[in-house]
Amino acid sequence: MERGNKFAVMKMMNGNEAVARGAFEAGVKVASGFPGTPSTEVMDYTRHYYPEIYCEWSTNEKVGLEVAIGASFAGYRSMAIMKTVGLHVAADALGGAAGSQINGGLVIVVGDDVGRTAGDDYNDVRHYGNMFNIPVFEPADSQEAKDLMVKAFEISEEYSTPVIFKITSVICKTTSKVIIDDEITYEAKCNVKYPVSFSKVIMTTMMMNAKGSEHPKLTKCFNDFPAHMKRLASDSNDFDFNRLELNGKKIGVITAGTPYYYAKEVLPEASFLKLGLVMPLPEKKIRELADHVDELYVIEDGHDLLEKNIKDLGVSVVGKELFPKFPDMMRFTPDIIEERLVPKAERRSVLEGIPFRLPVSCAGCSHLFVANILKKHKIKAAADVTCGLIGCFPHMESYSLQKCMGSSIALSHGYNVATDHKENFVAMIGDGGFWATGINGLMNLIFNDSQSTVIIVDNSCLAMTGGQHVASSDFGFNYKPENKLEISKVCEAIGVKDIVTVDAYEYDNLEKAITSAVNAKTNSVVIVKKPCVTKFKLPKNTPSYIDQDKCTKCRKCINLGCLAIESKKTKDGKVDIVINEDLCVGCGLCSTACKFDAIKS
Amino acid sequence: MQDTGKNIIIAGLGGQGILLFSNLLSKYYMNLGYELKISDVIGLGQRGGGVESHFRYSNKPVLSPFIKAGDVDYLISFEQTETLRYLHCLKDDGVVLTSTFELSTSSVNTRLEKDMPECKTEIIKRSGKKTFIVDPDEHKNPDFDISKMMNVVMLGYYAELRGYSHDDMIQVVKESVPAKFVEGNIKAYQKGTEIACAELAVK
Ligand SMILES: Cc1ncc(C[n+]2csc(CCOP(=O)(O)OP(=O)(O)O)c2C)c(N)n1
Ligand code: SF4
Ligand code: SF4
Ligand code: SF4
Repeated sequence: MERGNKFAVMKMMNGNEAVARGAFEAGVKVASGFPGTPSTEVMDYTRHYYPEIYCEWSTNEKVGLEVAIGASFAGYRSMAIMKTVGLHVAADALGGAAGSQINGGLVIVVGDDVGRTAGDDYNDVRHYGNMFNIPVFEPADSQEAKDLMVKAFEISEEYSTPVIFKITSVICKTTSKVIIDDEITYEAKCNVKYPVSFSKVIMTTMMMNAKGSEHPKLTKCFNDFPAHMKRLASDSNDFDFNRLELNGKKIGVITAGTPYYYAKEVLPEASFLKLGLVMPLPEKKIRELADHVDELYVIEDGHDLLEKNIKDLGVSVVGKELFPKFPDMMRFTPDIIEERLVPKAERRSVLEGIPFRLPVSCAGCSHLFVANILKKHKIKAAADVTCGLIGCFPHMESYSLQKCMGSSIALSHGYNVATDHKENFVAMIGDGGFWATGINGLMNLIFNDSQSTVIIVDNSCLAMTGGQHVASSDFGFNYKPENKLEISKVCEAIGVKDIVTVDAYEYDNLEKAITSAVNAKTNSVVIVKKPCVTKFKLPKNTPSYIDQDKCTKCRKCINLGCLAIESKKTKDGKVDIVINEDLCVGCGLCSTACKFDAIKS
Repeated sequence: MQDTGKNIIIAGLGGQGILLFSNLLSKYYMNLGYELKISDVIGLGQRGGGVESHFRYSNKPVLSPFIKAGDVDYLISFEQTETLRYLHCLKDDGVVLTSTFELSTSSVNTRLEKDMPECKTEIIKRSGKKTFIVDPDEHKNPDFDISKMMNVVMLGYYAELRGYSHDDMIQVVKESVPAKFVEGNIKAYQKGTEIACAELAVK
């Protein structure tokens, strides 16, 4: 395909791949971060296609962002990749970078779980733009994702600011064409403008005219970040990625991201202001659109942030009155826009009574063994954010407390100190959650003399996000066997009194290890080992089957939560409990649960 | 008349090869010079979740990555409970191509919910749409594992239904799957075209 440039080629890319391509074209030197749906694959593509770029999955998002900030100070363009809940973890690092001197462009690529496909809370990363007074970009398709990445780095350097690059579950998983220049070669640019970079506390102290702050040694370090942002806000009226499409005079829409395309398809006659930079806002363009149309709407996924910021400018727009946000709406669709803005639009609704699909653990998952033993012995426990949190669901009821990633150890410690250690409230955590922030909870409980039990489900990866490596994995981007961290050794060094390691499939041993740890009056860690069945494609044992003559249909096995165990209607209308032999890996868990000896292998 | 483009929903479960199916189809349409947008809705890492792919090709630029309910021309589904979820999205003259494969839903298994009393295949047949139904159990054969390759069977079926060039489609398959799987995939593809031919002859 020729488009003026004879090296222009067309490629189909999803948003994640396009962001990675943009990073390459921008000459990014360092990519760090922590996995999280939907943006994990930005790192995967970067690593796979652009080996020139140094990649690391850091232990958590805060560390990842700090790595990127350090690389940026060294003069090199760097990006940190995470999901929005990850930025909550890294927020302090972002606050430190905001308003400070930026050498190499610093872009934080953040995946918002718009529509809650990954089951996150209803978050919106753009709040950080308002809170820290930093720019936020939002692309509407893959082409824009690539192009705006390059702009994001330029703006970061030009206006000395970290930049948030917001992508969503829709952008990340939508494939569309991208025109790229195949002849571009990688070049890591180095931009060292500032010899020092301090957190903006220094600047604000000077702005307050604090005593002594006029000293030339200090004024030399001053970074007038409010002025940079003012200049950016004014310049944003001239950026071509903030595009005014003056058309019909009745309806005007201010929008960004994929909602632009929903609205454009449903309202072909309308006038639009399509924002690529959603913060700060191009005030002049907004007023121009407002003057052009009779009715002005803002159509944005997530929270009502554009709406609030536009209203703050004194421009009146219709947003959430017409399009109520969560929980009335998960995300925009063309249907919702049509229903509210197109007269006589037909409304269609889904057939009633279609059963819902709860997520279920893979057949043979080690988490099921732990969940089963906790429930069997009525041991109260907190779950972490891991594949194992399925054990919180109503059919399993193995856990009574679950919050954010890495939290379970401190949660159970809090419970135990409040109840004077009368019952041992156990913490379950994955290896990933342990390294991410759970390790802090463990150190904390030791030096505060707590007698809690922690079960670490070591499946050698971050399974829930697709199997990325952790500090204790036998693989990884920068893996060397001698640098691998050993969970048991670290626990020992921290001072845990009682540490046992068991194979998850050795049911009796595991049961004994957990119950004796819980009953002992000391702090303890049980490390449950079994590589993630799905990530590592473990060889299968002979599948189990149910002897229908012996089965009483008590359903105890079904409530274990194994995907392979199903209730199936038979031809004569009865319901049988059966094992799907294609899915079963023969782990043997269900036969330990059946009291009627009906499960055989 | 020249085909100006279609809206397709591809539905099923994680692990059924829906992404490969849409990938193969996208290459075919790209070779014909169409503009495309394909949007996948996929849940978490664990198994048993639904997968939904909105596939749009057109001779004009495609705007929305999601197809409006009522604008779907083809619903291609690999699992019949999933088929039911999207029936209302079809145009009045929309077409359903579905497998009768069914994976019981976890909420029914654990009795959080009751299953639908009626047979799902019957509900699909009664939908008033043009329906093409494939029962993988009827087409088990020694040449390939149909439970694993239903995606390519359905590709062959769809291509036959649309009157596409099998040579071109098989070429796409050859270019896209690892060499050691090419032969099995071609057999699965041909099986799909055969099933479609037989069905179309009856209709
Ligand atoms: C702060 C934060 N970062 C990232 C995520 C995304 N996330 C959810 S589960 C998970 C992996 C958990 O891995 P691990 O603790 O090892 O448990 P596993 O799923 O392997 O059992 C990640 C990274 C999140 N939910 N919260
Ligand atoms: S992906 Fe791995 S850890 Fe997660 S449910 Fe499946 S087997 Fe268990
Ligand atoms: S636990 Fe045993 S008896 Fe009960 S439903 Fe399962 S197989 Fe049947
Ligand atoms: S043996 Fe039982 S618990 Fe294990 S995978 Fe097979 S059906 Fe599931």
